[in-house]
Amino acid sequence: MQSPRVERVTEAVANAGSARPKIEILQVSKQFPAEDPARGLAVSNVSLTVGQNEFVSLLGRSGCGKTTLLNMIAGLVAPTQGQIAIDGKPVRGPGPDRGMVFQSSALFPWLTAIDNIEFGLVNRGVPKVERRRHAQDLISLVQLSGFESKYPRELSGGMQQRVAIARALALDPEILLMDEPFGALDELTRAEMQDELLAIWQKRTKTVVFVTHSISEAIFLSDRVIVMSPHPGRIREQIVIDVPRPRQRASVQFAQFYETIQRAIE
Amino acid sequence: MSDTLGTGSGPDGKAKATVAPGQGECRPSIEAERQPGWAVSRHLRQTGLPLLSVAVILAFWEGAAQLGLFDASTIPPPSRVLSTVWELQTLGFPRGSSLLTHMGSTLGRVAAGYALAAVLGIPLGMLIGRSLRASRMVLPIVTFARSVATLSLLPLAVLWFGVGEESKVFLITYGCFWVLLTNVIDGAKNVDPALIRAALMLDTSPRAMFYRVILPSALPYIFSGLRLALGLGFMVIVGVELIGTSIGLGALISQARTFYRMDLVFAGMVAIALFGLLIALGLSWLERLLLPWARESK
Ligand SMILES: Nc1ncnc2c1ncn2[C@@H]1O[C@H](COP(=O)(O)OP(=O)(O)OP(=O)(O)O)[C@@H](O)[C@H]1O
Ligand SMILES: [Mg+2]
Repeated sequence: MQSPRVERVTEAVANAGSARPKIEILQVSKQFPAEDPARGLAVSNVSLTVGQNEFVSLLGRSGCGKTTLLNMIAGLVAPTQGQIAIDGKPVRGPGPDRGMVFQSSALFPWLTAIDNIEFGLVNRGVPKVERRRHAQDLISLVQLSGFESKYPRELSGGMQQRVAIARALALDPEILLMDEPFGALDELTRAEMQDELLAIWQKRTKTVVFVTHSISEAIFLSDRVIVMSPHPGRIREQIVIDVPRPRQRASVQFAQFYETIQRAIE
Repeated sequence: MSDTLGTGSGPDGKAKATVAPGQGECRPSIEAERQPGWAVSRHLRQTGLPLLSVAVILAFWEGAAQLGLFDASTIPPPSRVLSTVWELQTLGFPRGSSLLTHMGSTLGRVAAGYALAAVLGIPLGMLIGRSLRASRMVLPIVTFARSVATLSLLPLAVLWFGVGEESKVFLITYGCFWVLLTNVIDGAKNVDPALIRAALMLDTSPRAMFYRVILPSALPYIFSGLRLALGLGFMVIVGVELIGTSIGLGALISQARTFYRMDLVFAGMVAIALFGLLIALGLSWLERLLLPWARESK
């Protein structure tokens, strides 16, 4: 039995292996204005390449810069140093090639669940009938049938998060950036949503960058787990999960990966 | 005890029976509200109790006046106010100017000034609120203009616009405008940045950002500005009508005072209060209709 492959990546680039690079992050740092500059350094000299159709998870303690890194890939936050490129083109702002599920669901409170999902489709000028049908498919995908016309404040936290996932999926982006999307879900729904996400990822060939606090979620989903450390936010290690899918959550191999990653975080 | 809390089963096991399966046992009050008896008593408490207290006060007032506890010419009893309202509507005061004429004229002036304030204040407030530089520049002006009591501008308004309708509409516009503007600016400023980011990730053009994110998000603020401004408009109108006109509720009250007709003063007050009540009800109805998602937030 092979032991998990762990690579130490301090200054070197965390590489995507053989696949064509989709996202290239080159020596990127983000310094937020702060009285103590060391405290404001959310991301420090991070290099990471994500391959076409790769599923990469970011894992690490609270405050290690996962959200900040995701925001920079999204083009919502500009790096203070370094470069980020998508398909070889530098990121200058948000674009239709990227979709994001935020840590807080960030739904529009004045729109019902289904109207939230259709928000981007309206912007793209998709005709109403087609829009509705597409949104309805997504509603059943995230198991919210019957809640279409509820406002966000009438939904539970987990339901809101699922609406946010459907909203990001509606535009069918090549790159999905997901910030703890399943954090508010119960374990059963969470497992179901993980399966759904993998199905979408495999069917529609997407590149996914997935932030999570759950080690087992990262092992179950990812091709590669990037472990980050805080103060300043850095990539500490990367673990390649070279196990064919569907993966067994209770296998010995799974437990080995779990232990390796846990040690990497500490 | 366990019956009211709905936790344990009562001695006869009935406490549990009222809770529908799957509803959970920790929300007995919600279950209870569905029972018709409870609903009736809640309805009574919501509309009946206020009516009751008003009726009690009126009864005491009437009784005290009939017993001669106070001078009916300075504090006319409700029955007298009521007959005066009738007299005012049929005979008019001054002769020929019925209550409805006064009310219509007051309403027209408030509506004109209010509409003008809304047409100016809402777009301007949205623009200012979205520009940091503009809101910094405008802040001292707004603070100053707001703290100028509108009625203290009366002499100036007369000087600029004469004693006709223009000066009255101007003063109402002035009073409504600044309150409204402040609220609209607040609304435009307080858009949750997370929503802007979410929209940016959903292919939102700058134009769509304004109409589909910033404006709806500011709507509750705009509404509360509209409500405050309307209240202020009715406060200002009474003072504004003190000069240069004999028609309008403010004019009615001031003329009634010079003739020492306190019953007429009270009748005018009742009419103004009626306006306020009706308009407040109308606005909250409109708000519920237009902002169903913001319900229960106030
Ligand atoms: N807008 C900001 N201004 C100043 N500092 C910030 C800002 N955003 C993030 N930071 C700081 O950057 C660091 C990283 O934050 P970030 O939100 O990226 O962490 P995270 O890994 O996503 O944490 P969590 O797991 O709790 O979501 C933190 O120390 C935080 O205080
Ligand atoms: Mg985060």
